[in-house]
Amino acid sequence: MRIFICGFGTVGQGFAEVIARRSQFLEERYGQPVRITGAMDSRTYVLDRDGLDPLDLVARKQRTGRVGDDEYSDPTAVLDAAAYDILVEVSPTDVKTGGAGLGNIMHALNDRKDVITVNKGPLALRFNELITLAKRNKCKFRFEGSVGGAMPIINLCHENLRGENITSIRGIFNGTCNFILSKMDKGQPFEQALKEAQQMGYAETDPTNDIEGYDSACKVAILANSVFGRNVTFDDVKITGITGITEEAISMAASLNMVIRLIGEISDTKLEVGPRLIPKGHPLSISGTLNTAQIISDLAGPITVTGRGAGRLETASAILSDLISIMDERSEV
Amino acid sequence: MIVNAELFVKDLPGQLVGSLEPISLVDGNIMGVMHDRERIVNHRICINITFEVEGQDQLEELQRIWKSKDIIISKIGSVYQTYTMDYLLIGDIDAPYIEGLINKASAIAKMDAVDVRYSSRTNRSSNRTGLISVKTRSEDDLERLDDFLDKECRNSGIIYVRGV
Repeated sequence: MRIFICGFGTVGQGFAEVIARRSQFLEERYGQPVRITGAMDSRTYVLDRDGLDPLDLVARKQRTGRVGDDEYSDPTAVLDAAAYDILVEVSPTDVKTGGAGLGNIMHALNDRKDVITVNKGPLALRFNELITLAKRNKCKFRFEGSVGGAMPIINLCHENLRGENITSIRGIFNGTCNFILSKMDKGQPFEQALKEAQQMGYAETDPTNDIEGYDSACKVAILANSVFGRNVTFDDVKITGITGITEEAISMAASLNMVIRLIGEISDTKLEVGPRLIPKGHPLSISGTLNTAQIISDLAGPITVTGRGAGRLETASAILSDLISIMDERSEV
Repeated sequence: MIVNAELFVKDLPGQLVGSLEPISLVDGNIMGVMHDRERIVNHRICINITFEVEGQDQLEELQRIWKSKDIIISKIGSVYQTYTMDYLLIGDIDAPYIEGLINKASAIAKMDAVDVRYSSRTNRSSNRTGLISVKTRSEDDLERLDDFLDKECRNSGIIYVRGV
């Protein structure tokens, strides 16, 4: 099995490392090695039909800031030159246009390649178009890591809760906001909590996508499309961020034995991201950087899942799970 | 409708069951029964029952059956299930604004009780927080209230935080 990794930042490197760690398991399970035959970052690329050493790729990227020697201007031309079966698209999220990731995914699907992605932009903007394209070309297209990182939710709903009528999903889909609000519970003002999140590496230098609720809104759109079969985009989500949450509001919530958390809500009629009052002890009142989701279904009732929403190996674990699912499906044929 | 009734029955075996059976006869649903053996008046024991019947006709039929069985109805009244929701409003708000908001909301959703609290204005900001606790008689009322407050707050640039 030949893999091309598009995007070689934190997640791309994490996935390469996971491939190195699980190479023996994968070879024993499928009777063939999983080889990385190409990798591309924002400027450079490297190709080798015989397979590249995953750990060498990571070391090189960390040493030089580049994954390859050759530079490119058109990423799809690199994909055309590569020999691969599955595209792993983990380039940075662009919620306005879908970014290069959208073009890469469409190019691979048009070329009848299977695709795994955690890139929220293309999924939040053009979900149904991508699914239709994948179905038309009989490609496998999986994206578990795009919502909640290591926390299983999409495949859980599709595979384990098969036959259930899922009526709603509510959850904490952004660890950065949850970290900030948890710190505010302990008396820190918003600005100080945000600064601490940046120092700890949980928030970007420009935290807009997190604190304005845009990142959560992408995930809400993805769940609405993939679990509820809706046809919505990021722009359809009603969004309120956490920048307006004051210490007084946190204190007043505490006086009711409640906390404020940024919650994404999806149902047949709801598509929202906003701060909500959550009773202490409720599954959605968790503190820290964890993500959590409560799925309500007609037969099973409420099911709550919690996990690390981001991180190098955590997100890579979701990609590995998608890879195994695709390879299992291919083995069955 | 949900009804609470206080009955007095003779202190004889089978009287408790005899007072409950008519509820089933009118297709009612018993939600709670309290048999108070310490409250005895004129050799009769007090029973407090909460039950659900479809409407006034069924309730009148039930009262007729109880009377025919020599069961004394000392109190009867409707009990409603209420739905509670708390809302935090954060921004440049004051009491007249919230009062106006609640007046407008009461035209849209039936509210049984409304309680409002405010944080004090600080020197750092003109923003303050208002906590509105509302009880409604139906989930539909709550949904209409949610929609109304959401729209009003968005139009006024006020942060709106509701419960789940």
